[in-house]
Amino acid sequence: MRQRLEEALRAANADYTEIRVEQVDSSWVHFKGRELDSVGSAKTSGGIVRALVRGGWGYAAFNDLDGLDNRVRQACESARLVGGVEQSRLAEVSPVVDRVSVALDEDFRHVPLSEKKTVIEEYNEIILGYHDKIETSHVAYSDRFRKVWFANSEGTFIEDERPDASLVLSATARDGDNVQQGFETVAGKAGFVIARGHHQKARAAARRAVDLLSAPPVAGGKYTVVINPKLAGVFAHEAFGHLSESDFLYENDRMKEIMVLGKRLGSDKLSIVDDGSIDGLRGTQKYDDEGVPTRKNELIKDGILVGRLHSRETAAKMGEHPTGNARAVGYRYEPIVRMTNTYIDSGDTPFEDMIRDIDLGLYALDMVGGQTAMEMFTFSAAYGYMIRNGEIAELVRDVVLTGNVFETMMHIDLVGDTLVFPPAGGGCGKGGQSPLPVGLGGPHVRILDVVVGGR
Amino acid sequence: MLAHRLIDKALKTAQGAQATVQRAESTKVSFENDKLKFVKSTQRTTINVKVVVNGKIGSSHTSDECDADGVVARALEAAAFGSPAHFEFPGPSDGRPVRVYDEAVLGVTREAMVQIGREMMTVVKDYNPDILVSAGINKGVRQTEFANSSGAAYQTQSTSFGVGVHGQWVRGTDILLAGHAFGWKKRDVDYGAIADRAVALFRMAQDTASIETGTFPVIFSPEALEVLVLALRLGFNGKSVFLGASPLAEKLGQKIADARFSLTDDPLIDYASRSSRWDAEGVPRQVTPLIENGVVKNFLYDLDTAGRAGTRTTGHGVGCSPTNLVVKTGDTSWQDMVADTKTGLVVYDVLGLGQGNPISGEFSVNLQLAYKIEDGRIVGRVKDVMLAGNTYDALNNIVAVGDQAEWAGDSLLAPPIQISDLNVVAR
Ligand SMILES: [Zn+2]
Repeated sequence: MRQRLEEALRAANADYTEIRVEQVDSSWVHFKGRELDSVGSAKTSGGIVRALVRGGWGYAAFNDLDGLDNRVRQACESARLVGGVEQSRLAEVSPVVDRVSVALDEDFRHVPLSEKKTVIEEYNEIILGYHDKIETSHVAYSDRFRKVWFANSEGTFIEDERPDASLVLSATARDGDNVQQGFETVAGKAGFVIARGHHQKARAAARRAVDLLSAPPVAGGKYTVVINPKLAGVFAHEAFGHLSESDFLYENDRMKEIMVLGKRLGSDKLSIVDDGSIDGLRGTQKYDDEGVPTRKNELIKDGILVGRLHSRETAAKMGEHPTGNARAVGYRYEPIVRMTNTYIDSGDTPFEDMIRDIDLGLYALDMVGGQTAMEMFTFSAAYGYMIRNGEIAELVRDVVLTGNVFETMMHIDLVGDTLVFPPAGGGCGKGGQSPLPVGLGGPHVRILDVVVGGR
Repeated sequence: MLAHRLIDKALKTAQGAQATVQRAESTKVSFENDKLKFVKSTQRTTINVKVVVNGKIGSSHTSDECDADGVVARALEAAAFGSPAHFEFPGPSDGRPVRVYDEAVLGVTREAMVQIGREMMTVVKDYNPDILVSAGINKGVRQTEFANSSGAAYQTQSTSFGVGVHGQWVRGTDILLAGHAFGWKKRDVDYGAIADRAVALFRMAQDTASIETGTFPVIFSPEALEVLVLALRLGFNGKSVFLGASPLAEKLGQKIADARFSLTDDPLIDYASRSSRWDAEGVPRQVTPLIENGVVKNFLYDLDTAGRAGTRTTGHGVGCSPTNLVVKTGDTSWQDMVADTKTGLVVYDVLGLGQGNPISGEFSVNLQLAYKIEDGRIVGRVKDVMLAGNTYDALNNIVAVGDQAEWAGDSLLAPPIQISDLNVVAR
């Protein structure tokens, strides 16, 4: 493959050219209700050429590897059309030649589909048999093994292996018109072993769906909110993290002013980190999709903005260093600035001390979705409990938190003492590239005056 | 035809088989932050095989035309313990022709696409040079081969063309995002009108207005109507109905909405982005009324789900999802709708749609682009406001239905609709 890519690169007529080719082996087992909804395996392959000519980008994505030279030429022609007036440059990095391979505990490529089905079916049975109010289930296992070859005109050649396996256990309970869901997810850069032994989680998902049937929707209003580690990770990623992706800053002078390094953006309890080099997490890669090594990047330290995430292009434009955050969700896509594993760093407050002095508040747990538009965010907790007179009280549903991220970060008054990275599924969507596996983590975090949507 | 070769291979072991081969080429021109950023071409091959062996289904896909043996073998492996088939592959059927191919799309050069983008950007920049503008122009062409073991076989060709322009206007710490986009299967897209629409949204947002927490009448523009329609997309899915996950499961024939509300799934609108003559299972597409005068009429089914539910496919394979949704127009003009509102909101864009438990109809969204009405006039943009409610309650609290429908996104053709008494939470 190396020879093939390097030959194709010689056909390029550009200032910079790169080719990324991938082979993807995937399999899935999906149950919906009693019956298997879908089971199968697939193999796909394809790639993308990026060419830079006089500061202009041309891309050519393909499935058909035979026409590689033509795709290189096509990308160069497109780049020529863009180049001239517009100026994209790349920050200097040292060329790398490396081969990254992974050893998986129970490599899912070698586990027969029948065995995967047997394991997943047990969870489905547990959910469906949990209670007579359980109406249906959705239990979905899927895995993907991406084998990636990357070569560029600067001499970099990387062969990388990127496995990802995930399991969603979802229960739907129903009482007349009232339909509620409970779910648990597990995901990681791991072999099939990650999908084993989750009978308790299956029961927990079913129990939550049933319990939510009799839970009232949270009353809308402003509350002191304690978020659990999963939600803290979502907050770090969704509410703040996307703002530190420099592709959104580098050509936007006004946003650069808002996000100037050294500025206080949060209370002094708050530190946020993105780190693509933590062993075993979903967002971990040795190199990003421009061949730049990943690393630990502090974004907020004690409330002060201290860093941001870069591709080679945004780093050059802003006069900073590449951070290893140029990522592509698959072979059809060009790399864009993305997070890896993002977390709120631990503080020093035990959980009990966070809720002790709250007369009326909300404990919000897990997430079913999150979205941001610039400084505005909304995210939906999977469920919550009211906090009354310093104690956890009744279960509530339809918990949606919203606000302005800068105000909300200033309102963080307590940060928990235990940092965890829950092995959650899902992924990040940005620029139509979804879902990108990312890691999320944090301790419990307390925030004052949060607007909670509800009825 | 490759699809026939795949079927022949599969039938050595399987009793039934279906194959689809798609080959597509597309081009995208992207402007970011006031500048031409990239031109991208994409070549795509997708091959899907589904087999039935001893009454069980197996499927697989590949991107490699040389992997015919592999894709069939994987489908057969999965069928050994796959889900039971509740259908038979349908025989040949002509269906009703619908226009999905426009030769003019092929002739659009990359240079012409760049020019369209520059013109749209200029319209927005002429209004206000401080707005940071992005724009996208896409075109594509796709060939599909389909065949199954019951003798159904077709080949179709379709095109697509779409444009969009979006702006970001930062004033202090206030960031306003607005824009407009449209795409279908035809070259004929009025990109000037799309840019004008984007400018109109910015113009209305020049002033800001505040609203206090309470219940107010809310007008959903066609673009924002998805807030209410999303639950219906999920609720009319025959699989959710069969599994009991849809709140509409036992509501066939019952009245669930105001008599002025009618909703139809129509895959036979010429050039609409979700239109096609056959579905992915070779079943002819048809027009399916979902809600007529507030009454639930039909759900959407594919072959297997229809078999399980003891009904017939509506040509929504695979997955029972809607195609183009059409909401029937009413008799209130947009002007009257606004003029008759004392205090209320007009919503164009929201944040957080689909979070939570969308199939239940519950929604709780942040108003990303919405305006306040005071004494019959739009007075400015509202910020930091959440809107919460339930689709099924809202559809029974309709104040007015607009008399003109517009395409919102690519797959919803709808008029604006005003709902009374929705919960608004302000900060
Ligand atoms: Zn994200």
